Amino acid sequence: MASALRSAILHHVRVPLSRTLILNGSRTTAVRSMSSHGDDHLDKQEVVERVLDVVKTFPKVDPSKVTPDVHFQKDLGLDSLDTVEIVMALEEEFKLEIPDKEADKIDSCPLAIEYIYNHPMSS
Amino acid sequence: MSLATASYLARRAAQKERVRILYRRALKDTLNWAVHRHLFYPDADALREKFEANRDVEDIELIDRMVAAGEATYNKWRHPDPYIVPWAPGGTKFCRNPPPPPGIEIIHDYGREDND
Repeated sequence: MASALRSAILHHVRVPLSRTLILNGSRTTAVRSMSSHGDDHLDKQEVVERVLDVVKTFPKVDPSKVTPDVHFQKDLGLDSLDTVEIVMALEEEFKLEIPDKEADKIDSCPLAIEYIYNHPMSS
Repeated sequence: MSLATASYLARRAAQKERVRILYRRALKDTLNWAVHRHLFYPDADALREKFEANRDVEDIELIDRMVAAGEATYNKWRHPDPYIVPWAPGGTKFCRNPPPPPGIEIIHDYGREDND
């Protein structure tokens, strides 16, 4: 008697998993709902601040000239090898692995910010 | 002759890209070999000096040969166990937990049967 009542209540209460998966509709295919990685997507302001910090602490750069839309070679007077070093420093800061061909194209702050912001694994 | 023609400029641009990619790989390799930063910085400076010494070379064939020699040296000195970011190909976490195919769900009823 009590067990029938209990099973009736439990039948009511049981929620199938399919309904709980509609947490974040656009991201469920890319992000597993219970996993603890990939859900710490950075927001744009934080990315901008960290990128600017990295560029400002570069020894050959004058920190007062660094703005979010600065070009490494034209505005900051850096070299192409210096650009490579900055990209490597950004990779280390955001724990990314950028393929060689794409790293070669990152030439300026806005490009770097866009790339890092849109990369799914930056943290 | 090889004045500022389009093919010459294209070739120089390709060479510059090769040099940048070579510098990037060599710098990463230097970090792989010299794990501690206080050892890495002098080695990175020495690498940069080597690249800077050849900065003003203008002869295209000579540049090609130098880049090839540089890539050969890089291949000789590659680290056997480089640090690769875990989720990237070659890293430890690559393909570790691939997302399940869509439409497949697990109903977590923990083996509870209906006559419980």
